[in-house]
Amino acid sequence: MAGSALRRLIAEYKQLTNNPPDGVLAGPISDENFFEWEALITGPNGTPFEFGVFATRLHFPSDYPLSPPKMKFVSEIFHPNVYPDGRVCISILHAPGDDPMGYETSAERWSPVQSIEKILLSVVSLLAGKHLLMLIMDVYALFFIEPNEASPANVDAAKMFRENREKFDETAKRSVRKTLGL
Amino acid sequence: MPQIISMKAEYLISLSFLLTFAVITNAFYVKKQFYPSVVYLTKSSTSLAVLYAQAFVFAILFGKFIQRIFLGPLRAIETEHLYDRAWFSITETCLAFTVFRDDFSPRFVALFAVLLFLKCFHWLLEDRVDYMEQSPVLGPIFHTRVIGLLSVLSILDYLFISSAYMHTIAKGASVQIVFGFEYAILLVSVITTATKYILHSIEIRAGEQWENKGVFMLYSDLILGLFRLTLYMIFIIVMMKIHTFPLFAIRPMFIAMRAFRKSCNDVLESRRAIRNLNTMYPDLTAEELGNATDTTCIICREEMQVQQSIKRLTCQHIFHKNCLRSWFQRQQTCPICRTTVLRPVPARATAAAAAAAAAPPVNAQPPAASQSQAQIPVSTARFAQPPSHFASNSSTSSTSSSTPINTAPQTSPPNFNTMGAGVFPQMPFNSFPMVLPPFAFPPPPLPPANFTGMSEETIRAMEGAELSHVQARIQCLRNVRTLLDASMIQMQQYMNIVLTQSNMENGTRLLSNLKNDTDQVLTSSDENNSRNNVLNPINENDADVIRRRRLEHYTQRLSPSTTNQENNNDS
Repeated sequence: MAGSALRRLIAEYKQLTNNPPDGVLAGPISDENFFEWEALITGPNGTPFEFGVFATRLHFPSDYPLSPPKMKFVSEIFHPNVYPDGRVCISILHAPGDDPMGYETSAERWSPVQSIEKILLSVVSLLAGKHLLMLIMDVYALFFIEPNEASPANVDAAKMFRENREKFDETAKRSVRKTLGL
Repeated sequence: MPQIISMKAEYLISLSFLLTFAVITNAFYVKKQFYPSVVYLTKSSTSLAVLYAQAFVFAILFGKFIQRIFLGPLRAIETEHLYDRAWFSITETCLAFTVFRDDFSPRFVALFAVLLFLKCFHWLLEDRVDYMEQSPVLGPIFHTRVIGLLSVLSILDYLFISSAYMHTIAKGASVQIVFGFEYAILLVSVITTATKYILHSIEIRAGEQWENKGVFMLYSDLILGLFRLTLYMIFIIVMMKIHTFPLFAIRPMFIAMRAFRKSCNDVLESRRAIRNLNTMYPDLTAEELGNATDTTCIICREEMQVQQSIKRLTCQHIFHKNCLRSWFQRQQTCPICRTTVLRPVPARATAAAAAAAAAPPVNAQPPAASQSQAQIPVSTARFAQPPSHFASNSSTSSTSSSTPINTAPQTSPPNFNTMGAGVFPQMPFNSFPMVLPPFAFPPPPLPPANFTGMSEETIRAMEGAELSHVQARIQCLRNVRTLLDASMIQMQQYMNIVLTQSNMENGTRLLSNLKNDTDQVLTSSDENNSRNNVLNPINENDADVIRRRRLEHYTQRLSPSTTNQENNNDS
């Protein structure tokens, strides 16, 4: 037994292994260090990311449930909300007070209520739900769903998404093939 | 230095060994004897450089060896920290060399190298003890290693401090002061690490979450941070007196200062959080915990036990007290619903201020005190003005019509004017036949822009006042309507009277006209009759002309009664 962060991570790991959510697989990289996790996220059906298996890394701070973890895609992924270096830009991974631009209200920020499962499902919906919504609402969705459209994590991806959907889908599919080693 | 030896490093090490071997062999080959060759080695700068490099390699290998004994394999994060800190430290050492360029000697460099060497192990030990909180399994080897390294480092620090002290006492101020202070600071860091280690060990021994550990950590951080900061301060003051401003100590001192400020802040925040928790929210009893549907603390994801202190916030969410405390140090909101839980009083005050700013006209009249009678005349003055004008207008118009319905005295208009200044005229309204609007009702206050941040009571109070205001307004509107109805009736009556009067006037005038006409006709007919006897056809003509003229005359009147009269008259 050790610190509260570790115990909570162990509890979450147990929970995730007992009731694994669909399309997501997560666990610590090694038994000795529960503060570095690897998570595999499958691309949701009906999206250009379908059939893809994207590897991500989660790094937990020592005061974990109080501060959010950092998440990074190890696999190459072309998405408006993922930085070219793989860092994921979603509001629940931001600690309150992180956002000097005031784009996000504190309600959608990190709090101990959030969990690894919720983060991973948010990322899945980032790949899927958001995509569907974007198809409907196009540009407006970018403003409402992801207020950082003015400075998206991946500017090229955002631009291509808006202006050339076919090319975006093509690029996304290419990244899927890459993750599968094809 | 302890590092993971990569292939490249291995090549470099073997290269260094080869070079050293070559240099030494060359010296012996040239000088043939031991002493001259040693002299040759120390005189030749190339050989010296190679030998220094070799010494560095030896130091690394030795460090690696020590690391094997006391730390085992390093984690990636530890290596990273080590590199970062080592680079800063080397830069600072170089800066220190510039200050002590007079004492620059191989011995001096060696002392700095030893200092750096020991510093590395201090950092590694710190990281290792921090790791205790993160690792699920810690064997006895871990504890032995940490305790061993802790004691070795503290003994070494102590020895270096005492030697520096002796040196300074014996030979006066020198570079040894720097070493003395450096080792003193290192000793403080060893003590910090030891405290942490003891606290972590106690927690591990306890087997479950040790509730007060966080508080102990905070206070030990505070005290040791203070120690460190004072040491840096004294060091800088002493250095400024003896040598010059120690530029190389600025960065660590700044870091120490920041750490101290942070720990001060943490202690204050934590104290405030605990105080708020204790004063505002009572501990949950066992019975209440039994009634709770979900007894998992959302912060640590563990079941809440009766023996732990549990708090319930105003939003009814329950948490471990300690989990809440650590969260409240960061944010004063409920982790689940994000309602602000601490410091509700200033929050409400600001909300009220915002509401007041949003509705400035109501400012003079607080919603809760809207029923107070003293303010009403002042605030109603503006509102009461238009109806008073209306009343005076209607009364003047009705008086001018001088109908029997209007009994209002002629003095009412000036009284109405004075009412605008706040004096309420009783007499004219009492004498007025219709129901008069009670102008004394309080004016409806403008509702504030939003109700967020207002407490239940104020909203309810506002609602109550609002209700009465609305009722009063409706009453007023009804009164106005009755007033209008009454004036309408008055107008109709007046119209009727005017109509009948004009009809009567018309009638009398017509009668007199008719009388004149008939007289005229009678007289003319008499004349005609007298003439008839002489000229009959002309008489006939005359009679026709008269009849035609009369008809023309009557058609101008356009009155049926008169035509009737005429007809009668004619007949």
